Amino acid sequence: MQRMCLMVSGLVWISAVAGVGAGLPADHAQRMERGLKAFDEHIAPLLKEQCLGCHGGEKVKSDFDLATREDLLKGGSHGSVVTPFDAGKSLLVELIEHAKEPMMPDGKPKLAVEVIAKVRAWIDDGAPYSAPLVVGKKPKRDASVVTDEDRQWWAFRPLQKVAGKSIDELLLKQAKGMTFNAPADAATLVRRVYLDLTGMPPTPEELKAGMAEPGKVVERLLESPRYGERWARHWLDVARYAESTGFEQDYDRPHAYHFRDFVIQALNMDMPYDQFVKWQLAGDEYEPTNPLALAATGFLGAGVFPSQITENEVERTRYDAMDDMLSTTSSAMLGLTVGCARCHDHKFDPFPTKDYYRMLSTFTTTTRSNVDIHPDGKITSAITTKKGKDKDTPPIPGATRMMICGEGYEPIVMHTQGGPFFDKTYVLKRGNPDLKDGEAAQGFLQVLSKPGSEAKWEWKAPEGAKSSGRRRTLSNWITDVEHGAGALLARVMVNRLWQHHFGTGLVPTTNDFGKTGALPTQPELLDWLAEQLIANGWRLKPMHRLILASRAYQQSSGRDAVKEKADPNNGLFMRRVPQRLEAEAIRDTMLAVSGMLDETMFGPGTKDENSRRRSLYFTVKRSQLIGSMVAFDAPEPLVSQGERPTTTVAPQALLLMNSPQALAWAEGLAKQVAGAGEVDKQIAAAYAICFSREPGGDEVAAGRDFVSQGGTLAEYCQVLLGLNELVYVN
Amino acid sequence: MLARAGGGFGGLALAAMLEREAGAASNPFAPKLPGHFGKAKSIIWIFANGGPSQVDTWDYKPELQKRDGKPLDGFDPKTGFFPGSVGPLMASPFKWKQHGQSGTWASDLFPKTAMHVDKMCFIHSCWTSSNNHSPALFMMNTGVTRMGNPCVGSWVTYGLGSESDSLPSFMVMSDPLNRGLPKGSAANWGAGFLPSVYQGTWLKPTGQPIDNLAVPASLKPGRQRAQLDLLARLNREGLAGSPIESELNARVESFELAYRMQTAAPEAFDVSKEPEHIRKMYGVDEKHCGHFAAQCLTARRMVERGVRFIQVYSGGMENQQSWDGHNDLIGNHSGFAAESDQPVAALLSDLEQRGLLDQTLVIWGGEFGRLPISQKAAKPGRDHNPHAFTVWMAGGGVKGGYHHGESDELGFKAAVDKVSVHDFHATILAAAGLDHERLTFKFQGLDQKLTGVENPKVVKQVFA
Repeated sequence: MQRMCLMVSGLVWISAVAGVGAGLPADHAQRMERGLKAFDEHIAPLLKEQCLGCHGGEKVKSDFDLATREDLLKGGSHGSVVTPFDAGKSLLVELIEHAKEPMMPDGKPKLAVEVIAKVRAWIDDGAPYSAPLVVGKKPKRDASVVTDEDRQWWAFRPLQKVAGKSIDELLLKQAKGMTFNAPADAATLVRRVYLDLTGMPPTPEELKAGMAEPGKVVERLLESPRYGERWARHWLDVARYAESTGFEQDYDRPHAYHFRDFVIQALNMDMPYDQFVKWQLAGDEYEPTNPLALAATGFLGAGVFPSQITENEVERTRYDAMDDMLSTTSSAMLGLTVGCARCHDHKFDPFPTKDYYRMLSTFTTTTRSNVDIHPDGKITSAITTKKGKDKDTPPIPGATRMMICGEGYEPIVMHTQGGPFFDKTYVLKRGNPDLKDGEAAQGFLQVLSKPGSEAKWEWKAPEGAKSSGRRRTLSNWITDVEHGAGALLARVMVNRLWQHHFGTGLVPTTNDFGKTGALPTQPELLDWLAEQLIANGWRLKPMHRLILASRAYQQSSGRDAVKEKADPNNGLFMRRVPQRLEAEAIRDTMLAVSGMLDETMFGPGTKDENSRRRSLYFTVKRSQLIGSMVAFDAPEPLVSQGERPTTTVAPQALLLMNSPQALAWAEGLAKQVAGAGEVDKQIAAAYAICFSREPGGDEVAAGRDFVSQGGTLAEYCQVLLGLNELVYVN
Repeated sequence: MLARAGGGFGGLALAAMLEREAGAASNPFAPKLPGHFGKAKSIIWIFANGGPSQVDTWDYKPELQKRDGKPLDGFDPKTGFFPGSVGPLMASPFKWKQHGQSGTWASDLFPKTAMHVDKMCFIHSCWTSSNNHSPALFMMNTGVTRMGNPCVGSWVTYGLGSESDSLPSFMVMSDPLNRGLPKGSAANWGAGFLPSVYQGTWLKPTGQPIDNLAVPASLKPGRQRAQLDLLARLNREGLAGSPIESELNARVESFELAYRMQTAAPEAFDVSKEPEHIRKMYGVDEKHCGHFAAQCLTARRMVERGVRFIQVYSGGMENQQSWDGHNDLIGNHSGFAAESDQPVAALLSDLEQRGLLDQTLVIWGGEFGRLPISQKAAKPGRDHNPHAFTVWMAGGGVKGGYHHGESDELGFKAAVDKVSVHDFHATILAAAGLDHERLTFKFQGLDQKLTGVENPKVVKQVFA
């Protein structure tokens, strides 16, 4: 998504003020006087008529604005436009003389020779303005400087101390006199909690147990390994997780699944979220001999990478690869579109390009590598290269090969006409590796850094360490609540928890907390939850408990016209809106109710649609995404995805009507209920398994009609698998 | 904002699509932006995958013929893909002749297509920003050299909507001879940040073209209809009073659309129904071009059935398996030209004789061009050239027999009236009646466009 910004926002301006000040011509005063007269008589009317339509009024095309002299001298995406006192060096003159493209004025006839001469003379006189061309127009703010005003944006402020004791209290305070819907009935609630925490409905026995002792349901499910599998998938979306390189050949990354397994294990063991973040950025620098910490670094390496790189693409490709690491880190962990600052100071948020490159330099020497973890715990590099003859390290008996992303191991090499990385990272103008503007020393977003705290974050790698220490330094800043980005880190995470329990985040744009994102609908609640997360030692399970125990979560989804009118987007959370399950949970639910689920955890995945394992164990190969997942809106794993769309399209129906898998699920369900007795009993058994309830009289009658008219039990069961009720969480 | 746009959006899309007769206002498949140039209701893009050589197809360069064997002074060896195989200037080995009223020069690679030059509008001054296949393919399809952005077909269907209630509005056909997909595969027809309803439907070249289209053999006739009736009956019970009634209702309707598609799609793909003289005109039963003929004929059948955007890839993935003639230029280009010449010519004739050419834009072109110098080999070829290539268009309101822009005297770099990929995209949208400045989608807080921000220009001169 960061990439989108690059496409849209164009290129950075280059300062054009060189020459002003130091080298003023001796007859400066006379020239100014002459220039101002020309401005008032000829130039201002000309600029207004010919140029202002695109460059300063409503529009600022090519980032070039000439409404004020300051803007004019800044130039635009083509660089300097006017060099005062030197028309011969001014791009503007070349453009209006049609010596260069884009010829100006755009789409209009070429200016008359004498008009061009006037423009030249005015520039030679210093291009003075007597007044801005647009009334009331102030020079644009300098986006390369971060100000105190910038720090006042809600997401950059420290957490506010909120007077309040619970989710419900804080929500009701904002509810404009409304109150929650009545609580959902016990069966609905048990089913809701099962689907939310495990991605599958309760069996009839589990439902019964849950209704008998509602207090134990949440604890039992948080202890279930199915919890980590369900919630890992949410994180894999924001981590753009996949197991292939993308681009031309889309080579497999057969050892990348360890990252997926790390996420599942971390969630199941309730690893503190700050540690979860630290390990993903620098697990190899925290615990170089701990396989789980190494597996965590797969986060940085999960992005796309070209497998065929020509000589003149090597350096740009390396910057792309580092950009992928930085952009994903900032979107996933901080909800910020830092990647937009690659080519220009960020248009909307206070992220100067310098900040971007200083952060980018964190990853200067970071590469993907395969390592072998030997049975005795020894860790060695495995060579993996597509260059030349096959020199790959053969498998080592008893050892586990794992893809990590760190420093000091043999980088994985593609068909490239260059090396794996460059020793230094530079600040680039317009994102162009040919326009280097000095080396970028490591640093972070100024707007999220208390000045003078650098020493606190810096981690010096011990003597003989394989790595530079830069990623651990980044992880110290990102988790530092007092002086660094920690408060925002907490806000972004509690927002994701809320989103997956309620369908919408308290900040609906979960990956964008900047100025182009949405404002928090409940700012106090968001900060209160962030405080709770930190106070609970960054553990997520206490947060689930807190949310699941709230009236807000437990209310029913009944319709209320008054509330819908007063709060159409439900930002007040005074009612519940049913949510469709995600692709993985839909398929897992089918497997569960058909009695076919294979609960084997971890290890290499598969691309076989007939697999009976949970859907997160499908191999994510970018060019061969799994049809049943894509059909139900599983995202393309190219960039961090905070929210999935929910579409309803014909291929979903075709899958449930005609796929061999759907037929097998229907057979499986039929087999489970066949022994329940006569038709009515079979129908009741199927409803209990699928919908956690008894069928109504009409429903039994409809089923009985279908079977009596020649329908088989399996055909009937297939219909139940197609019902809305199965795939919507009520 | 994706989730908000997507939340229920697909449901809405479908619901609205089915309510078309009632004139639903919220239909995202409904036409959005009244056009100012175009007459094209459908677009067929013949993608000559791998980068066909402009100087051997449609861009005649007498100077190159004269300077055969001479070095190209100042040539940067990093321009192409193989810096170590740089040879001298190489005259086109093909025979050139003028055709039609317009006197258009064409090589003898396309004898049948060349008979249509007075319908075709050539742009000789295209250039792109990458010398490598997949970035250049992404550029040509999405306007960005990296993966993950919406392609032209997605933007067009987003802008124009669909005219078919039983077929996908954007379909893609790739090489059926097992030579692979274009590099970057499905990312070339992805919807990127647009809702996934706008992504291209890739028709599998072998077996069932669309997944799960065939009713299971185990179901007796009429049983599936009975299943869907029961499904509707049971689903309806849960609809009333739900806060998401329209979304749930759309899901009920999606089963009916799927049911219709089971019949409509195979019918659309079945070229055996075409009369003998049509099959003959395309060459469906010819060994050398039958596979491509069937795809071109299918494209015409889709146009007739209201499909908006059809992309047909000529050639597969690896070098020499596509128009990527690094070695043996003569063999490579002759082979792929022979596969496509008759079918493409027949497509133009057929659309015209049915009165469909005016409202159908046909595009032919690749992701970049090839160098005027040779790539050294026993049988020489040509390396990639991002600096100049030729595309042609026909129908949809463009001027026939018209030539826009020029490359330099050797066909090395675009020289006169240069056309960037963004300009070309803006022109395609204009042909479909869409204004590239106004066809936007809010994503990450910004109004995203196919054509970016660098002042792309519609090549207005190509329109009649």
